[in-house]
Formats: sequence, structure tokens, C-alpha cells
Amino acid sequence: MPILAKPRVVEKFKSFLDYIRKNDGHIGTKQRGLDMNLNNACNLRCKHCFTNSPKGDHVKDVLPPEKIADIADQADKLGIFEWDLQGGELLLRPEMLFETLKAIRTERFYMYLTTNGYYLDQAMAEKLAEAGINRVSVSIDSIEAKEHDEFRGKEGSWAKAIEALKHVKAVGMSPYLNITVGHYNAQSEEIDALFKYSKDQGYTTLVNVATPAGMWQKMSEIMVDEADKAHLIQLRKKYKNVLRNIWNPFGKDDEAILGCNTVNRLYVTPLGDVLTCPYVHIKIGNVYQQSLKEISEFGFSIKYFREHSALCLAGEDKDFVSRFLSTPGTSIFNPVDAREIFPPEDIRQG
Amino acid sequence: MSTKEKYDNAFIESFSVEASALGDALEYNTIPEWDSIGHMTLVAALEDAFSVSMETDDIIELSSYAKGKEILKKYGVEV
Repeated sequence: MPILAKPRVVEKFKSFLDYIRKNDGHIGTKQRGLDMNLNNACNLRCKHCFTNSPKGDHVKDVLPPEKIADIADQADKLGIFEWDLQGGELLLRPEMLFETLKAIRTERFYMYLTTNGYYLDQAMAEKLAEAGINRVSVSIDSIEAKEHDEFRGKEGSWAKAIEALKHVKAVGMSPYLNITVGHYNAQSEEIDALFKYSKDQGYTTLVNVATPAGMWQKMSEIMVDEADKAHLIQLRKKYKNVLRNIWNPFGKDDEAILGCNTVNRLYVTPLGDVLTCPYVHIKIGNVYQQSLKEISEFGFSIKYFREHSALCLAGEDKDFVSRFLSTPGTSIFNPVDAREIFPPEDIRQG
Repeated sequence: MSTKEKYDNAFIESFSVEASALGDALEYNTIPEWDSIGHMTLVAALEDAFSVSMETDDIIELSSYAKGKEILKKYGVEV
């Protein structure tokens, strides 16, 4: 179902666009999206997994459909227009996934699925499109099959991912080639080759910068530096099909920054905890205890999430990472509580 | 810049295509760049070019290069 067949999505998206333009091109405190880890089980063992799925963390927990329906209603009222379903690997349990999509009522959101692509064959792609998925982000780490397979811990995973994107495109969903870029690969020829491949195939390249979280906790050396970031901008200008959530996707300026999307894109775990972002493992509420509105308002009361940041807090702001994201043992299932980690002067009262 | 040039420019810059790609055959989803994000980028470009604010129904109807010209007439823009 294309976005043009989802009037409610167009309405909310336009509201977002109008806000951005009135706010100097910045995302400010406008709600944008919801990233939901529906279930943390996965068939791969990726080295950089931020959810600790390779460790078997909470692989049985899942949010029930009735709770998801309630979250969806609240998200719609808040003006949230994007919904990214992720895991783990959700195509491991397709019945659960399709039940969830029904509960969400996909006609209200620009829906996407983030997947490793292993189980995404033509038949599955058709079912996803039928269920209202607009876009599928398939994670690929290298143009070389062997490197990708080694990174993901399963032989054959690259070939499946490559094929998955073709199926996504064939059925009319938007194919996004999802790349994690860190200091270790940002300026490599391999990354350029992968960007070129994505462009040649007619995909969108979605860049996620590597973050010292999950399996890579404390590994701040993987974070991109200024030269890496400048190189990513050059790739954006060269290929024209490159997106990052922190970049302004509208307008002519290839260097325009929307700002860090913490709280603008809420991250909900299978336990119902709400974190400010998939990579910032700081909890601002739980959907079983507060409304999304209350949680968002609290999130934006914290200055780091309210004020504009031109840096991705989890992937580019070493000071923020050092001060607030370095508690040992932190994970999406054991996040630090915002009320405990931020001093009172950093939280707007009232 | 003429109205037609402004109109064409909106498509060229939004989708990073050449002028030769423009024409009645250009529709939503016929090129990779004209996906959902591309569509809203185009809307932003047209609104900026012609200082208009489009209604939701018109944004939905804006499904082709040809259709866009019809829609802009509602906003007093003759392409």
C-alpha cells in the first residue's frame, strides 16, 4: 500500500514537514516515529548487535497485540507517522508479526520492517506488501559475501540479504539497504562499493553510525570522527540516494542537519520500556505505566533531548556517551533510568 | 525563472534527475527516487517554489508530473 493510499499518514507527514520548516530545519520536539523491538530472538549472531540478541537476552518476551493496538492509537494521536518494526529478527515468527501489523492498523503509519533478510523470499515480500508495509530495510555490512557472513555469524546470510532486497523492490515496497558505518569502515573502498551497488540497484542507502552499545559497549573507538562524517556527506552528494535519520531529507542542502532524533523517535522494548532511541539505553517510561504522551513530555523535559543536537548522541557525541551511556551492564533490557542519571538541573520541572 | 522552469526544477532537484526524465510518463513510484520520502521532498520543493501550502488531498492526488500542474492551478499557479 503506497503512502498515497494512506491519507492519515500524508496528513501527519505534512504536519512534520511544516514544523521542520518553521523550526529552522530542525526536528525540535516534534514527534516523528516509533521503533519497536517486538521480539529479540534472532537467527544471526552479529558482532555489533545493540540488543544483545546473540547473548539470548529476553528472546521470549513479546508485547501482546492488545497492548500494541493501544500504543498505536496513542502514537497516532501524537502525530507519529513512522513505525519501524525490528527485533531480533521478526521474520523468525511471521504469525506474530502479521498479528502485530493487524493490531497496529497499518493504514495509519508509514510502516517499515528492519530485517537481516534471511527469511525474506518472494512469497514473504508479497505478504508484507499486502499487510501494509511500505519499506523494508535490509542490513548488509559488506559488498563481499565472506565479510558480511563472518560479521553476522552465518554463512549464506549475505546472499539471502541481497536477494531479499530484490524481492522487496519487485513487489513495490521501498528497498532500503541498511549499512552500519563506523570509524573502522567509513572511508573504506568497500563502503563506497556498497553505496555504489545500492545506487545501481535503485535502492535507498540508510546509514546508521556505529554506537558503543549492546555487544559493542565501551568500544568508543568504533565511533565516527569528523573526517568520517565529512566523507559520509561526500557520499551523500555523490550518490544522492543516501539517508541518515539525523539529516534533513527535504530540501536541496545535502549538508542540512535535522538533529538527533532522541525522543522524536521512541524505542519500545518487548518489556514495554520506552527508551529515547534504539542506541541510547536510557529509559524514560514504560507503556504499561504511563501514556506515550506523558513519556514523550518527560523525555523532552530533559535538556539533552529537548535542545537541538547536530551530533548523534549515541554515535558521535563522545562526551554524552562517556557521561551517560557508560554504566556497566546497561542494555535495552537493563537501561539506566533518566531520573537517576540526569541531575535535576538538566530536567525542566513543571 | 519562468513558472515552468520553477516547476521542472522542483522535480529535478527533489529526485536528482535530468530534465529529460520529466514528462507525462513520470509518476509516483516509476523511478526509485519518487518513493514516499521523495514525494514529500517534492511537495516541500513545490510549496517553496510557489509559496503555497498544499492540502492533504492534493498531496495525495499529486501522483504524476502531469497531475501536479492541474493541482497547482487550484493554488493560482499556471504551469
